[in-house]
Amino acid sequence: MRSLPTRRAASLTGLLVGVALGLLYTWVINPVEIVNTYPALLRTDLRWDWVRLAALSYVVNDDLEQARTRLEGLRYEDVSGAIQALIEDYAAAGLPADTMRRLTTLAEALDVHTPAMLVYLHTPASSSPTPIHTPPPTTTPTSSPTPTPSPTPIPLSTSTSTPNPSQTPTPPTLSPLSTPTPEPTVPSPTPTPTPPLLVRLQLARKDSSCQPTQAGRIEVVVKDEHGDEVPGVTVWLTWPGGADRAVTGLKSQGGAGYADFAVEKGVNYTLSVGELGRPLVTNLRIASCEPEGGRQDDNEEKAEEPWTSSWRILLEPPPIETEE
Amino acid sequence: MAGLVVGLMIGLAIGWWLWPVQYTNTSPSVLRQDYRDDYTLMVATTYEVEQDPERAYERMSLLNPQDPAAPVIELAERLLEAGGSIEDVTRLARLARLLGTVPPTLIPYVEELEVQS
Repeated sequence: MRSLPTRRAASLTGLLVGVALGLLYTWVINPVEIVNTYPALLRTDLRWDWVRLAALSYVVNDDLEQARTRLEGLRYEDVSGAIQALIEDYAAAGLPADTMRRLTTLAEALDVHTPAMLVYLHTPASSSPTPIHTPPPTTTPTSSPTPTPSPTPIPLSTSTSTPNPSQTPTPPTLSPLSTPTPEPTVPSPTPTPTPPLLVRLQLARKDSSCQPTQAGRIEVVVKDEHGDEVPGVTVWLTWPGGADRAVTGLKSQGGAGYADFAVEKGVNYTLSVGELGRPLVTNLRIASCEPEGGRQDDNEEKAEEPWTSSWRILLEPPPIETEE
Repeated sequence: MAGLVVGLMIGLAIGWWLWPVQYTNTSPSVLRQDYRDDYTLMVATTYEVEQDPERAYERMSLLNPQDPAAPVIELAERLLEAGGSIEDVTRLARLARLLGTVPPTLIPYVEELEVQS
């Protein structure tokens, strides 16, 4: 007959072996079958692709609620990272302004921000969502049973922040240390307040140049009355059926008051500043051109490449008139 | 022997209920059916923007490696039967054509489809 300690040891050993066998069976041999998962469990690259698909579907169908539903349950880091990457890729690839506007509208609604979307925020869309040609169907449906996934949602904030690059700091008010004795003074004329720079800006110079490129460009430089370039000025370019905007000082290759637009040939463009205010330059057109002195490239292929006119616009307030 | 049986039961309880295998890094093929439908529809819709056939094929292969067109056709026919959005059906029909299979039910929804008579 075995002693009590020996039996206890045998029981304990049996227990441990049993637990080990149980875990081996449930974790390795017959684990919980993986079905009916949800997007948050996808591999990282596939999660990002899910976000990309949801965002690009929004570009086509303009359905914000559907996009939100599709992104529910995903971590904010995945949503923001994927949308930022998408916007930056598309901005670099020069996709149409309407596509960029819709993407930035979605990004803003999801509280995602990236510098590349700045110029497309709050600009009017020129058309309805991307149309799709629909041939005559054989049946006439009456409802849309789009599936609605319902995992545990994460809050996607809808608050937005609008950068205001043209804010002017308020100078500190100095309080007098002693009360000065009033002295008779000669009344001076009341100074006329100077209107804001945006109101005073006008076309100062408009130069055209011929460049060996397919696409045209409109470059804008904004200066103040002292000749200093002014950053943070919103410049609008509008044309029949569309609008685009740029903010001065965001391009590293230009100066502090520089902004530019890629434009197409044969369209009449209008340039204005501020919130789509009065036009400063109208009928800006880009056309094919020939360089002065003709083409001098010996290479035949280069000699046949198209040359396109570009504009460089200087906006400046009129000089301040000083009274003698 | 009793210890072994008790231990085995504890092990099964831990492995299946208390602390089951946690799956991450999954693929679209194991998504719930409504998510798979949504994925298919998003691939079809996104193709309108990207116009990238290879990418669309890769995405649908993740859902069904053997027959990437099958989920597309299945969803389109289900939408037709349920009276779904014509635009969605059209997008799915285009994707199905891109993936190489268009059943007769979807032919009217595919523009410029050359019907061999």
